[in-house]
Amino acid sequence: MNQQQEIVQHVFHFIQADASGEKDFNELALRLYAYQYQYNLPYRSFCMQKGKTPRTVKTWKDIPPVPINAFKDATLSCTGPEKAEAVFMTSGTTKGIKGKHYHPTLQIYDQSMTLNFKKRFMRDIEHIRMGILFPKEKELPNSSLAHYLALAVKKFGTKESHYLVNENGIDMNRLLDELHHAEETGEPYALLGASYSFVHMLEELERMGKTFSLPKGSRILDTGGFKNQSKELELNDFYLLLSTTLGIERSECINMYGVTELSTQFYDKGNESVPSVKSGPHWIRTRVINPLTGEEVPKGERGVLVHCDLGNFNSVTTILTEDVGIELENGFFLLGRVQGTEAKGCSIAVEEFLKAASKGVSE
Amino acid sequence: MRELAGYLPDIGETEFETKILTFQSKNETVEVEIPFLTTEQMDKVIEKVKKASAETLKSFSISEIVSIIDQAIVRLLDRDSLYRQKAEKLLPIVTGYDEEIIRLGLTSYLKTFRKKELQRFLIEDLGNPLLLDDFQPRVKGGFSKALGPNVFTHIWSGNVPALPLWSLISGLLVKAGNIGKVPSAEPLFSGWFAHLLVEVEPRLADCLAVVWWKGGDEEREHSIFEQSDVVVGYGGNDSLQSLQNRIPVTTRFLPFGHKISFGVVSQSSLDSRKTWQSVHQAALDVVRYDQQGCYSPHIFYVQHGGKVSPKEFARFLANELENFQKRHPRRELSMEESVSMAAWRQREEMIIFSNPNNEVLGNQANDWTVVYEENNIHFTPSSLNRVIKVIAFETIENILPYIAPHRSLLQTVGIAANPNELFEWAELLGKTGVTRITALGSMTSPEAGWHHDGRFNLLDLVNMVDIEAAAEESSEQFAPYVD
Repeated sequence: MNQQQEIVQHVFHFIQADASGEKDFNELALRLYAYQYQYNLPYRSFCMQKGKTPRTVKTWKDIPPVPINAFKDATLSCTGPEKAEAVFMTSGTTKGIKGKHYHPTLQIYDQSMTLNFKKRFMRDIEHIRMGILFPKEKELPNSSLAHYLALAVKKFGTKESHYLVNENGIDMNRLLDELHHAEETGEPYALLGASYSFVHMLEELERMGKTFSLPKGSRILDTGGFKNQSKELELNDFYLLLSTTLGIERSECINMYGVTELSTQFYDKGNESVPSVKSGPHWIRTRVINPLTGEEVPKGERGVLVHCDLGNFNSVTTILTEDVGIELENGFFLLGRVQGTEAKGCSIAVEEFLKAASKGVSE
Repeated sequence: MRELAGYLPDIGETEFETKILTFQSKNETVEVEIPFLTTEQMDKVIEKVKKASAETLKSFSISEIVSIIDQAIVRLLDRDSLYRQKAEKLLPIVTGYDEEIIRLGLTSYLKTFRKKELQRFLIEDLGNPLLLDDFQPRVKGGFSKALGPNVFTHIWSGNVPALPLWSLISGLLVKAGNIGKVPSAEPLFSGWFAHLLVEVEPRLADCLAVVWWKGGDEEREHSIFEQSDVVVGYGGNDSLQSLQNRIPVTTRFLPFGHKISFGVVSQSSLDSRKTWQSVHQAALDVVRYDQQGCYSPHIFYVQHGGKVSPKEFARFLANELENFQKRHPRRELSMEESVSMAAWRQREEMIIFSNPNNEVLGNQANDWTVVYEENNIHFTPSSLNRVIKVIAFETIENILPYIAPHRSLLQTVGIAANPNELFEWAELLGKTGVTRITALGSMTSPEAGWHHDGRFNLLDLVNMVDIEAAAEESSEQFAPYVD
């Protein structure tokens, strides 16, 4: 067994266990750190520059977090990127460059997803009829969300589950059929997809004047958010509208928070009140830091989220997001992605400069 | 603590809706209450200012106006005076800048509006300041008089303290009635100055107003601009564009967009003794108002070939910024600013992988950052708040192609060079669109009578009224003394 296989085995068993203590988590995090320090060369340079070597890093909290933008500039992988079973890319780009996350095998990603999904979304049931408001994996081979949803359908969907988007957007006829079918038969139904697709769906249903009362046990999973997610009112309106239009309790409207640069997702326990508390499984831990100093902020204060995901055995376990949040006893509040800052004075801000430069109006 | 902002002429009403802006810095909070007028009240204010400008302000001689402004400025320069004390106490809380930076900045800025500077200001633009009082003979024949607008509206923006004084004083010098809209980032100084002027000369009471409304309030802006002769606007190009769309073609619009400035350091200035001085001055330009001014540097281009290398210059600069951090700490940043700054620095750190000659210098708390770059000349803005690039270059011609595409965004260049280079470089930089060249250390304090973004401060505000020679000659034949 080569070293990667050993690492994968170790991670696999760790995830399979029911829970983990601080000591076990630390041990695996440090093992992965040593492995990534050795084989992921850009990461090693990054760590050396920070003065953090396997010898000085004593706990998972010491592992230097890699800013998500680095996935755009550097190839963060312990194995040759050409050997990857899957390459997930970010949707956002800077100057046309997408962040890339290499997975030499999807074994761990899939294991992480299914165990966590079962526990947080399926809960009491084994299978459910699903409608997917997102393109198929085939159409978006580099989308981690497309893969995630395909996996959800494959493992937990009944065979009548369907994709509800086509090249023209949401297939409303199909959607209406599905919703009517659920109402008539009383068979619980699950709608899963990108948050903005739900917004479009709600607009369409409102235009048609249609509302539904889906059977008990039906549920919703949205992810990705829409602009200004930090605005409580807008989020609140979103879930209120979802709940009243489809007749699903807000506690059954689950929001998933995931990023391309991780192999593990976070969920809430429904959105009765917003913002909801997000939490992840025992193989991922989150810290909330002051972005300037890198120090943890006191509990209850706003900061930027740093995730240490042991499912990321091949890239880097620890990433620094641009998501603002607040640490809580049982998880964290996700307050949304930081928007660009405007100029305070009369000096030009980076965004404005880029905008002017791209339009050519600065000439 | 609560402070009333703004200034209103007497329009026979005392009840105004107000808007409260709350500012917090460290452990102190200030609530700024600013009048928010109804459209009818605003119309009354404009009417009042227009009338007072025509009847009162225009009857003052220019030397009287200069003297009134001078007296107001003298009071503001006096650290024991009421408004100066308010400024020193409240502006650090409102803007977040260090107290000493504000105190020093105010003094160096205000002293450019003393009587002798105002006189220079007038001569610079008009040649003969009496043009503002009377018809003056012209060299070509005939007579001319410079007439300022009756209503001059200012849309100020940004948090650099006291910046509105530029246009407000320019307006006063051309005897315009002034209506200013304060920026919500620093709503206080312009109102204090208005009160002070009226204390010095009570007859000015109805000649100006300092108010607030929410930017983009189309109906209100349309109505105000309709009634203005000249509008000056500060801000980003997007907001200026939307202002322009609401300004009738008969109203003159003077937009001042956000700008980018930089420094150029010649190898001739880089000896072991003089470099320290240049570095100190360069650091001051970075530290003052944390680079938020349009004249603040984003980049220093440093020439190879001196006794001190560009890389050493960068390290010295880092050292100097660390010293300043102790004396004049940076403004506290918001979460958004912190994240964007951290992201900027991390990105620079990642670039080192592909360009090992680069250096990213900073302290643990990210209070400042110096990025040194070699073999990669470019022109991109800094994320500000004491983030500066030092880029090595061989000849000025290497830099120009990177700057030239951004012509409309260029403003100040701080230069450390010998006299020959100064003029040669000024020629080349001027052609690319730079409008102001100054010494390092002076970037943030333009001298009296400067041409803001290359334009005239006063000439752009006035209309010249000409009596042509023909009229003068022809009048002679109708004189009672004609033979």
